[in-house]
Amino acid sequence: MRTIHRLLTATLLTLATATATLAQPAGPQSGPQTGPLRVDINAGLMQPMPIAVPAFAPGNAGTTEAGTTTALGERAAQVIANDLRSSGLFRPLDPAAFTTTVGVDSVLAPDFAAWRTIAAQALVTGTVTANPDGGITLACYAYDVFAGTEIARQGFVTTAAGWRRAAHKCADLVYSRLTGESGYFDSRIVYVSETGPRTNRIKRLAIMDQDGAQHRFLTSGQNLVLTPRFAPGQQTITYMSFENNRPRVWLYTLGSGRQEAVGEFQGMSFAPRFSPDGQNLIFSMAVGGNTDIWRYNIATRQSVRLTTGPGIDTSPSYSPDGRQIVFESDRGGSQQIYVMNADGSNQRRISFGEGRSASPVWSPRGDYVAFTRMGSGRFGIGVMRPDGTGERLLTNGYQDEGASWSPNGRVILFSRSDRSGRSGLWSVDISGLNERRLATPLDASDPAWSPLLP
Amino acid sequence: MTTAERNWLLAAGVAHIALIGALSLAWQHSQRLMPSPTDAVPVEIVTIADAPRVTEPPKPSVEAAPQEAAAATPSKAAPAPEPVKADAVPPPEPVKPKPPEKPSSMPSKTAPTSLDTSSLASLIDKALPKAPKRTLDTSRLATELNDAAPRNATVDPRAAATLAQAIRAQVAPCWNPPVGGRDVRRMTVIVSVRYSRDGRVVGLPDVGRPTGSTAANADYARAFAETARRAVLRCQPLKLPAELYDLWSNVEINFDPEEMT
Repeated sequence: MRTIHRLLTATLLTLATATATLAQPAGPQSGPQTGPLRVDINAGLMQPMPIAVPAFAPGNAGTTEAGTTTALGERAAQVIANDLRSSGLFRPLDPAAFTTTVGVDSVLAPDFAAWRTIAAQALVTGTVTANPDGGITLACYAYDVFAGTEIARQGFVTTAAGWRRAAHKCADLVYSRLTGESGYFDSRIVYVSETGPRTNRIKRLAIMDQDGAQHRFLTSGQNLVLTPRFAPGQQTITYMSFENNRPRVWLYTLGSGRQEAVGEFQGMSFAPRFSPDGQNLIFSMAVGGNTDIWRYNIATRQSVRLTTGPGIDTSPSYSPDGRQIVFESDRGGSQQIYVMNADGSNQRRISFGEGRSASPVWSPRGDYVAFTRMGSGRFGIGVMRPDGTGERLLTNGYQDEGASWSPNGRVILFSRSDRSGRSGLWSVDISGLNERRLATPLDASDPAWSPLLP
Repeated sequence: MTTAERNWLLAAGVAHIALIGALSLAWQHSQRLMPSPTDAVPVEIVTIADAPRVTEPPKPSVEAAPQEAAAATPSKAAPAPEPVKADAVPPPEPVKPKPPEKPSSMPSKTAPTSLDTSSLASLIDKALPKAPKRTLDTSRLATELNDAAPRNATVDPRAAATLAQAIRAQVAPCWNPPVGGRDVRRMTVIVSVRYSRDGRVVGLPDVGRPTGSTAANADYARAFAETARRAVLRCQPLKLPAELYDLWSNVEINFDPEEMT
C-alpha cells in the first residue's frame, strides 16, 4: 500500500514537473538567463518550533477575584506555554532570554527583530483586562516572527474564574493556526482514580482539565467503577459500576451529579460508549455465557442486538460519522479487531499482526483506530487504518492499555502499569514521539479525553 | 362552582405543588453522592479590535534581519540572550569585502563552464546537516540535472545541479514540515525566492498554492505553505558563489516531505 502510494506520489510529481516545464515562458535566447533555478527539498528537520510567550500585558489596572490583571497575564502566558510545550510541537523559549518586554503598546506592534535574535519563530502576546462586571477579557495575538506578520487574533470574555479556559482557547488558536489542525487544549479528562492494596482497590471517577488542573473526584469510591466515556456534548459520562454488586452501565450527569443505571437488562452490561450524535449507547452485554454488542437508544430505551456469534464481542467504538463500529472479538480463537456497519452487517476482521489486539478506539478524525497489542508478556498501544493497513506500535510498556484520542485525533492518552501494580496516565503523539506522563494525585487508569469544550 | 369547591381545589393544588417540590428536592438530595463539579464556565469569543495605538508592523527588510539587529543592539541591562544553538539561524558571517571584481553585472559567459565543481561541494555546510542526509540516488541524478538546469540557459547543467544541491543543504535544515497532519502525504508547495547578491531574500518569497489543498484542508495547506516560507526566511543569507549569481538570483524551491512521511 505504502509502495503504491509512493509510486502515485512520484507519478504526480513527475506530472507536475512536466506541467511546470510546459508552462515555463520562453525566455530570451541571449543574455543572462532569467528562468529560476529549480530546487527540490524532500525532507526537513522535525523539531519543536521555538515560540515566545511573554506575560500578557495588563489591559487596565484592575483586580478580579482571581487576582490582578498583571498576575493573570503572567499565569495565562504560563498556561499557554505549558499547553504548547506538552504537544511536543513547540518549544516555548525561556523568558529569561527575552531581549524585549511586552507592554500594551508592543502587543500590537512587536519588535520582530528582537524576537528574531533569540530565534523565536512565532510570538504569542496579548492582554488581560478586568471588566466592570467582574469578568475578564483575554485578548490573544499570534505573529509569524520571520515573516513579520500577524497570523491570528481572538478575544475571550469570561468570568474571572474562567481565565484558565480563556488561556487554553488562546493556546488552541495558536496551535491550530500554526499546525493547520484543530486544537485540543480546552478539553477535560475523566479517568478512574485508584488507591489502596491490590486486594481492596478503591476506584473513583475523577475529572480534570487536560493539563491536570482543576482535579475533582466524581464518585465516592463505594462502588467499583470502570471505563468512563464522555458523551459528545460532554454533559454526561457513561461508565460501568458494580453498584449493588451488579455490573451495569451507568450515566453520570455533570453539573447535577446525578447517576442512573442504563436499562433493566438480564445480564451484565459493560464497555459502554456514546454514538457520535449522543443519542445511542453501544456496549457489551453478557447473557447466558455469551457476550454480544448491543445498541441502546437513550430516549426510547429500546435496545438492539448487533452481534450474535458465540464468542466474546466487546469494546465497541463508533467511527466519527456514526456509520461503522470497530470492536474486539475472540470468535477467531484469540482477541482481534473487527469492523462492522452500524446496523451489525458486514462484520470483518482487520487486525492480523502478531499477538492479540484489543480495545479498539476510532480516531475523531477518522483516519486511524488505536488499540492495545498484547504479546510476549507486554502490552503496547498501536494504531492502524480502519482497513487494517498501516499498523504501527506507538508504545511498548509492561502494560500499556486503554487508549483514548485527543479531540483532534493527534494525541493518544493511555494508562501504563508497572510490575508492582502502580498505574498512571501517559500520552503519546500519533507519530510515536513525545511520550509524557500526566500527573494525577493517586494511581490512575482508564482515561477518556473529552471533545473540545463548547 | 361553590366557594367550598373552589377552596378545596385550591388547597389540593397547593398540596400537589408542595408534594412535587418536596419530591424533587428529595430526588436531588438522594442523587448527590459527591459535591458535583461546577460546570465549565462559559467563554465567549469576541472579535478584538485594534487598540487606538496600532502601528503597522515593520515590514521585514534586509535591515531588520536578525544578524544585523544582533550586531547593532548590544544588550544593556537585559540579560544576554543565550544563543539557542539548536534553532538559531546560522551565525552571522561577517560580510567579507568583495574581492576586487571586474565591475560587470553580467557574468562572464565562460565562468560557468570553467567552474570547478569539486570546490562547490565545500559549500554544503557540514555543520548544518543534522538535517536528514539526502541519500545519493544516482538513478535520480539525470532527472535532477535536467530539472535543475534553468530553461533556455546555456549553462553547464552540472553547475546548476550542484548549486541546487548547495541551496537544498542550506535551506532544508530550517524546514519543519507538519508531518503529523492527516493530509501531509499529498501535499507539496513551490516557493519562488529572489535572492540578493549577498544571499539574502529580497522581499517576502512568493508561496504558491500547495498541491493537494482542498476546501476541507485549507487551514492545513496554509500552515504547510508557511513552514516552507519560514524555512526560506530563516536559512539566509545563502552562501553561494558570487560569480554564479545569475544562476541563483531567482530560485524555485519545491518543498515535498516525501522522505519524511
